[in-house]
Amino acid sequence: MPLAAVLLLCVGCVSTATTQKTSTGYKPPSGNYKVIVMRPDIAASVLTAGGQLEQREDWTNQARENVLDALRAQQELRGGQATVTVTSGDDPALRDLNRLHEVVGQSILLHKYNPMAQLPTKKTSFDWTLGKLATDFGKSAGYDYALFLFARDSFSSGGRVALQGIGMLGCIVGVCILPPGGSQQAFASLVDLKSGNVIWFNYNASAMGDIRTPAGAAELVNRLLEPMNTEPKAKKKT
Amino acid sequence: MSGSRRQFLAGAGVCACCLPAFASAKVLDTGIEAVIGPGYEPIDQDERGMWQSLERLEEAIRTSPKRLDAPKFDAYTRGVVERLVQRPVPDLRIYVIHDAAFNAAMFPNGMMVVNTGLAVRIRNEAQFAAVLGHEAGHYFRRHQITQYRSVRRKAAASAFFGTLTAIAGVGLAGSMVDVALLSSMYSFSRTQETEADAFGIKLMARANYSPSAASEVWKQVIEERKASAKLNDKKYKDASKSAFSTHPATDERMVDLKETAAKLAEGGNFSDHRDEWVAITQEHMPKLLEEQINLNDAGASLYIIENLAQDGWTGLLRYGEGEIYRLRAGEGDADKAAAAYATAITLPDAPSEAWRANGYALLKAGKTEEGRASLNKYLELNPGAKDAGMVRYTLTQ
Repeated sequence: MPLAAVLLLCVGCVSTATTQKTSTGYKPPSGNYKVIVMRPDIAASVLTAGGQLEQREDWTNQARENVLDALRAQQELRGGQATVTVTSGDDPALRDLNRLHEVVGQSILLHKYNPMAQLPTKKTSFDWTLGKLATDFGKSAGYDYALFLFARDSFSSGGRVALQGIGMLGCIVGVCILPPGGSQQAFASLVDLKSGNVIWFNYNASAMGDIRTPAGAAELVNRLLEPMNTEPKAKKKT
Repeated sequence: MSGSRRQFLAGAGVCACCLPAFASAKVLDTGIEAVIGPGYEPIDQDERGMWQSLERLEEAIRTSPKRLDAPKFDAYTRGVVERLVQRPVPDLRIYVIHDAAFNAAMFPNGMMVVNTGLAVRIRNEAQFAAVLGHEAGHYFRRHQITQYRSVRRKAAASAFFGTLTAIAGVGLAGSMVDVALLSSMYSFSRTQETEADAFGIKLMARANYSPSAASEVWKQVIEERKASAKLNDKKYKDASKSAFSTHPATDERMVDLKETAAKLAEGGNFSDHRDEWVAITQEHMPKLLEEQINLNDAGASLYIIENLAQDGWTGLLRYGEGEIYRLRAGEGDADKAAAAYATAITLPDAPSEAWRANGYALLKAGKTEEGRASLNKYLELNPGAKDAGMVRYTLTQ
């Protein structure tokens, strides 16, 4: 499929962007501590020719398993006593925490990663919190940190690839219309259950990768979570 | 997945000048049947994905603190659907949610959401069945997946055509086709709404519910919007009259349903089952009315109360009427509120709060003795009331 090969080259031009955000004085968890990894929010979809994302059940199930395996493997490498917990959402303590984080996590994504949506009071600070709900949960369940992960992966349908092909042909005559292909968007956040604060957050967008495969899931989890282990360098104000 | 959400009402205002559309009234095709049976599970990938993508949403709705905690009302609602489709419906999950907006929504995976704002506007079981039958129509006719596939096809056509015409240097042709495709998507949605109306009314007649209840519901909606507009001194028009509306024009739906009902009702023995509706909802009505009244839309709230009062004024409705005026607090409203409270306490089912409100209104008017008597009656009826201390304090003054 020479056409697909050309497209792949083009997609390869798009870089992978990862930027972590941390609260002031962030120190990576160390020593003997317990992390609960909350049920990751995962979906894998087809990108149709017309541009809709159509969730695929089999891909999503596979991706979810892969990400969970990758999370377990990744956390085992850390010295702490990590526990991977998959919740159905019906345990009231976890359910509320999950839902609160859903809102807070999406807010961080919007207001910290979209320059058009910066909040005047949070331009230089990173002080989101899950509050008492998180500290109460930490106390009663005996965890020090909670780790949340969100990932969406999409893949071009045959029709989308054909459409991109036509667009590529247009480039030959000087009218270049290149509809974007499938892509990957993910974020993770670490909540300190002693303070309830979101102390570390990382977002990753990529036109590559495939969380439907174990290797692709491991790659995403590592790329997303690796920066958590290093203390951020003191940044000069720009 | 907002695209899969089917709303009973798109939130449209209605104007009086739209009414001449009556001439186009048509009898709906009530020959359509359900296309899925009990225990339906999707096989196709796109439909399975659609169901899966709703799991988190349903979990959030199922465990939401906004759910009306009313197992009996849940079971009753299920019973009405079962009576309509004439079989058990284990495949439907029904959630009643505290939301004062007039709405109900059917999701493709069998999740049905009913707003409390729907229940508060309903006079009898037949009217409730009209809404549930319509919503069930979307599910049993698999409207969402059909709609999604149609949109997917048209979006693909638009993308290909747009790219090709742009390359050929005739981009304008592409955008004209876009408008045509977009308009056909909405038209498809309106066709489905009409089909759900037809399916619902057919089920109603079969289950011996007065089929005219369906057009009554729309009549109430139109009249309520007019009443609200009038008191707010605003001009309203029916947003569903646009070529880009997902729902057919409200007045046309009302008239089509009325014509169809007239045809279906020939020789039938129908009932509106008002007693059953009242028996199951009366314990919730104080809360539901309060939600509506707190919107402080006096025109709409007064219409709703007066509409319900067509079946007879109750102490609760009169108390609600007083609360509407008290909240609005316009010129002369205090007197209107006082009059409503005074009437409320003469009715057998007046809530204890009516005595309190009546008491304070009387004190304000300088009728100290009567006012104190009314407040004492409130404490007698509701000794553990949260504000009992405050009321006792008033009585010591």
